Amino acid sequence: MVGRVEIAPPLRARLAVVLASTRMRLLTISRYKGQLLLDVFIPIVLASMPILMGRAIGGQQAGANFALTAGTPNYVAYMLIGSSVFAIISYAFWHVGYWLRWEQETGTLEAIYLAPTERVWLVAGTALYSMIRSLVSALTAYFLGSWLFGVNPLNGSLLLAFLFILMGLIPVFGLTLFFGALILQVKEANALINLMQWGVTLLMGIYFPVVMLPPLLRWLALAFPPTWMLNGVRSALLGVGFFLGTWYRDLAVLWAFTLFTPLLGYWTLLQVERRVRANEGVGQF
Amino acid sequence: MREAGMRRPLAFLSTFLAMVRKEFTIMTRYPVEFIASFGQIFLIIAVFTLAGLTFARAGGRGEGSTFGGVVIYGFILFLFLSDTLWTIGYNIRREQKQGTLEQLYLTPASKFASLVSRVASTLLWVSLLSLAGVWMMAAMLGGIPFHNPGLGLYILAMSLLGTFGVGFAFAALTLRIKETGQTVANALQFILLILCANFFPFSALPEWLRAVSRLIPLAHGVDAFRSALMGFPPGFPELAPLQVELLVVSLFGLVMPWVGYALYRRAELRARQTGSLSEY
Repeated sequence: MVGRVEIAPPLRARLAVVLASTRMRLLTISRYKGQLLLDVFIPIVLASMPILMGRAIGGQQAGANFALTAGTPNYVAYMLIGSSVFAIISYAFWHVGYWLRWEQETGTLEAIYLAPTERVWLVAGTALYSMIRSLVSALTAYFLGSWLFGVNPLNGSLLLAFLFILMGLIPVFGLTLFFGALILQVKEANALINLMQWGVTLLMGIYFPVVMLPPLLRWLALAFPPTWMLNGVRSALLGVGFFLGTWYRDLAVLWAFTLFTPLLGYWTLLQVERRVRANEGVGQF
Repeated sequence: MREAGMRRPLAFLSTFLAMVRKEFTIMTRYPVEFIASFGQIFLIIAVFTLAGLTFARAGGRGEGSTFGGVVIYGFILFLFLSDTLWTIGYNIRREQKQGTLEQLYLTPASKFASLVSRVASTLLWVSLLSLAGVWMMAAMLGGIPFHNPGLGLYILAMSLLGTFGVGFAFAALTLRIKETGQTVANALQFILLILCANFFPFSALPEWLRAVSRLIPLAHGVDAFRSALMGFPPGFPELAPLQVELLVVSLFGLVMPWVGYALYRRAELRARQTGSLSEY
C-alpha cells in the first residue's frame, strides 16, 4: 500500500484519496433514503415559516411591505433562496466541522492517523461529498418549494446565481475548518453546531436583508463570506441589488475570501490539532 | 405486570430523584451546552422578530405585541414539547449506544421512573430558557401581552402530560426502528412546526392544512395556550372555541400518557423476548 502511494504521481494519488473519501461518504448516505428526503424537505419547511408568518402579518400588503426593506416583493422566492443557500452552508459546517467527531464515533479516527495519507485530502473528500449532497438537495428544494408556493424559479440569471454559489463554497469550506478547530478544542460539537446554525441564519440574513441588523452586526455580517454568496444569488435571481453595485465587484470580494480563508482555516486546524494531540489527544470527546 | 417501583411510592420517588440527579450531573459536565442553548434562544428570537418586522413595516395586521405574543408563546410551547417528545427516545438510544440499557433493565429500579427522569431535568432548563426568551422578546418589541397565567399554566401542563405520552410512544418506536428513529424524529419535528403553527397564526395556513391541524391535539394546545396568554385578542383561538380546545387538551393530557406507556411496555417486552434490547 505504501509502495503504491510512493510510485504514483503525488497529485493523482491525492486525488484518488479525495475521490475514495467522497465515494465512501456518498455510499454511506445512500443507505439512508429517509435522510436524503429530509434534506430536501428541511429547506422548504424553513422557508415556509417566515412565508406564512409574513402572510399573516402583512396580509395583502405582505409583498409591498417586504419590498420596502428587501428590494423585491417576491418574498416567497427570497425565503426559498435563503433557506436553500443556508442548507448548503449548514451541511458544509456539519460535514466538515463535524468530520473528526464523525470519525471518532465510527471508530475510524485512529486508523486515519495511522494511514500514510495527509488528512487534508480526506477532508477535501468530505468537502466534495458535502458539496454534491447539499447542491443536489438545495436545488431540488428550491425548485420543489417554488412549485409548491406557486412562484417562478427561473427568474433572473441562473448562471450568475450558480457562479456565486460555486465561488462562495470555497471560503465557506475554509470557514468550516475554523469551526472544526473550535470543535476539536471545545469538544461539544452538537451544542456548537446548533448555535452556529442560528448565528449563520442571523448574520447572512436568510429571512431578511442585512441592512436590518444593528451597525456592528451589519459589519460583522459583511465580513462573513456566506452573506456575499447569498446576496449575490438573490441579486442575480431577484434583482435585490449587489452590495457594491455590480456583480463583478461582489464576486471579487468572494475571490478575496477564497484566497485566504481556506489557508488560514487549515493552518488554524493544524495548530489546534497539534496542541490537542500533545495534551489529551484527539480521540477524547 | 405492574412494576415493583410503581407499587412502592417511596422506592419510586427515590429512583426518580437518583435518576434526575444523574441526568443533572451529566448536564453540568457540558457547560458549553448551557451557554450555547441560551445563545441559541436569543438568536432564534432575533431572527424571527426581524423576519416578522420586515413584513410589518407599513403597519400590517399583528404588528407589535400581538405578533410578538404569537411567536414567543408558540416558541415556548415548541421548546417544551420538542424536549418532552424526543428526550425519552433519544435517551433510550443513548443508553443503547453506551451499552448500559441492559444493565438498567437488570436492576430492580422502576423503568417508569427512569424514563420520566430523562425529561424532568430538561424541563427545568427549558423553563429558564423560556423566561429568558419572553424577556428578550419583550425587550425587542417593547412589551408583549401577558394575561390569564393560571389558564396558560393549566394548558401547558396538560399539553406536557400529553406529549409525555407521545414521548413514550416514540421511545417504543425507537426500540423498533432503531437508528431510523432519529430521521423520523427530525421529520416529525418539522412537520409539527408547520401544522402546530408555532411561529405564525393558524390563519396563515391554507384551509386544507388547517383542517389537518384541527386533528392534532398539540395544535389545539398551542392555539389555546397563546390565545389565553395574549388575553384572547379578536380571532383567537383560531381552531375551535376555547371550551372545545380545553376539552381536547385535557383529554390529551389525561389519556395519552397511559396509551404511550402501554405502547412502550409492549415494545420493550418484544425487544426483551427477541433479544434486541441492546441492538442499535
